[in-house]
Amino acid sequence: MDAAGNHKRLQALARAAVGVLLLGAAAAVMLPFRGEMARALPAVVFVVPIAVAGLVAGRAVAIATAAAAAGTFNALFIPPYATFGIHGPEDIVAFVVFGFVAIVVGTLVSREGERRQVAEQRASDLETLNAELQAVEQERQRLAEEANKAAILERLDEQRSALLRSVSHDLRTPLGGISAIVSDLLSGTAYDEATRAELLGLVASETERLDRLVANLLSMSRVEAGALKPDCKPFAIDEVVTATVRRLGRLFAGRRVQLELPSQLPLVRGDYVQLEQVITNLLENAARHAPPSSTVRVGGRDVGSHVEVWIDDEGSGVRPFERERIFQPFRVGDGSSSTGMGLAICKAIVDAHGGTISVDNAPYGGARFSFRVPKA
Amino acid sequence: MTGELVLVVDDEPVIVRALSAALQARGHRVAVAINGAEAMAEVATRHPDVVILDLGLPDIDGMEVCRQLREWTETPIIVLTAQGAESSKVEALDAGANDYVTKPFSTPELLARVRVALRSRSNPSDQETNVLITVGHLAIDLAHRRVTLKGREVDLTPKEFAFLLALARHPGRVITHQMLLREVWGPEYSDEVQYLRVYASHLRKKLDDDPARPYLVTDPGVGFRLVDPDDD
Repeated sequence: MDAAGNHKRLQALARAAVGVLLLGAAAAVMLPFRGEMARALPAVVFVVPIAVAGLVAGRAVAIATAAAAAGTFNALFIPPYATFGIHGPEDIVAFVVFGFVAIVVGTLVSREGERRQVAEQRASDLETLNAELQAVEQERQRLAEEANKAAILERLDEQRSALLRSVSHDLRTPLGGISAIVSDLLSGTAYDEATRAELLGLVASETERLDRLVANLLSMSRVEAGALKPDCKPFAIDEVVTATVRRLGRLFAGRRVQLELPSQLPLVRGDYVQLEQVITNLLENAARHAPPSSTVRVGGRDVGSHVEVWIDDEGSGVRPFERERIFQPFRVGDGSSSTGMGLAICKAIVDAHGGTISVDNAPYGGARFSFRVPKA
Repeated sequence: MTGELVLVVDDEPVIVRALSAALQARGHRVAVAINGAEAMAEVATRHPDVVILDLGLPDIDGMEVCRQLREWTETPIIVLTAQGAESSKVEALDAGANDYVTKPFSTPELLARVRVALRSRSNPSDQETNVLITVGHLAIDLAHRRVTLKGREVDLTPKEFAFLLALARHPGRVITHQMLLREVWGPEYSDEVQYLRVYASHLRKKLDDDPARPYLVTDPGVGFRLVDPDDD
């Protein structure tokens, strides 16, 4: 405290000395020419040390310097020299005017200096505040990011457990049917040939259902890993559509499937296996929503640079606000028993082919799912 | 036991078809409901002898169907539950279900449970009127509080006897931990599940139970049942 106080006092003294030193220097420079100079010149020059003193050392020092300057002016530059006496009214006026100007300049300049100091203090306070504010803001952003990350992780976690729930449900449903039938047949229940064949047919279709589900799970993991790279070659997509409809015939029991494929449908360029999966998933989706004894229409057409394949059902359709969402993976809480994986895979595959997929109203009611892939 | 009407309540067509075929092959008549509302209507109009009820129905929770049916009918209910849902099994039994089978199930096992349910219905051993209960080679003489296995007397403590009797009154049917504790030890003991483990192991030792073909069967997390090991 004492050392700091001393230091401050020394600094103030040094600043006060600046005015006196400048005053001395100016007087010393002008002294040899005092006989030849206009009387006003030293007065004007002396304003400089006063102003400097005011700037660096404040008002009191400025006034002290002004008094010293007045004394110096009177003693050295107003005859008779080396005395404080003044002769003649002209010199009195000059002295008084000088004194007045010196005090006013000293006051103004020192006031300006004080203002500047206050402004500087304020600026530095503002800077400190600003820095603190920035730190707070950074902290806030960091916390917000963390909260966001936590929310995303929680959402991912929810999606994963929803996926697990629905996948295990979807896997178990066909397994339940297979287990019920096979355990019954193994126990030697006496069935007639037709019933036995019917039950075995159900086992076969449930096995196929499991196989499709596993294929979708594999594709989904490829999509998630970003490893869904189509191996593109030219092929006739209408032939794949026809073969897939025949393969999935069992799914459409009690419904009719009508093919509307033009005979001259151009070849497409794409991955045969992946696009077959798209058609399979869309047909399975249609079978899930087509009411009994309705017709499912499957067709294709040339749309310029692309070929379009469409599948219409006569079900309840897809409401407009769900048309985007329906292609997102693992839709949670939509009440459907399916994983919602099939359509998401369709979109991922069609996107990877540079194509588009969409759902719309079918001309005979129900939903129309259609996708477009580039021509060969 | 031909001609009994079995109501199958499930929204999975393959399960419905498999069960219908198996039940009909054994001479039962079959009614089908694919949701809870249909199930309640079928029970009300057709009075089935037993109901096989899937808990995962599209409209009403199967548990609720069970509860509502129990408000007015004693028809045996066998619930089908998803694997790994012990709490829902206990809840279903508390809601009045007679038994449960876990999906995926084996049809012969489900049919055995159907037989148990039908038997308990046609032969009310539930009532105290029976002085002798037999389960396979196990005979429980209520009047003399005596238990014999293949004619040989089994010496049981009073609590062990009460434990065995609680199960033997409903042969083949699962009795939950809470039911057993309430009946044998009293309502204030309904959380002391470890008692049951101890007494079950005593009983198994005294009955010389074969773990592969036991009389006393544990339903993990749910309860116990007494079965005839020679019943298929």
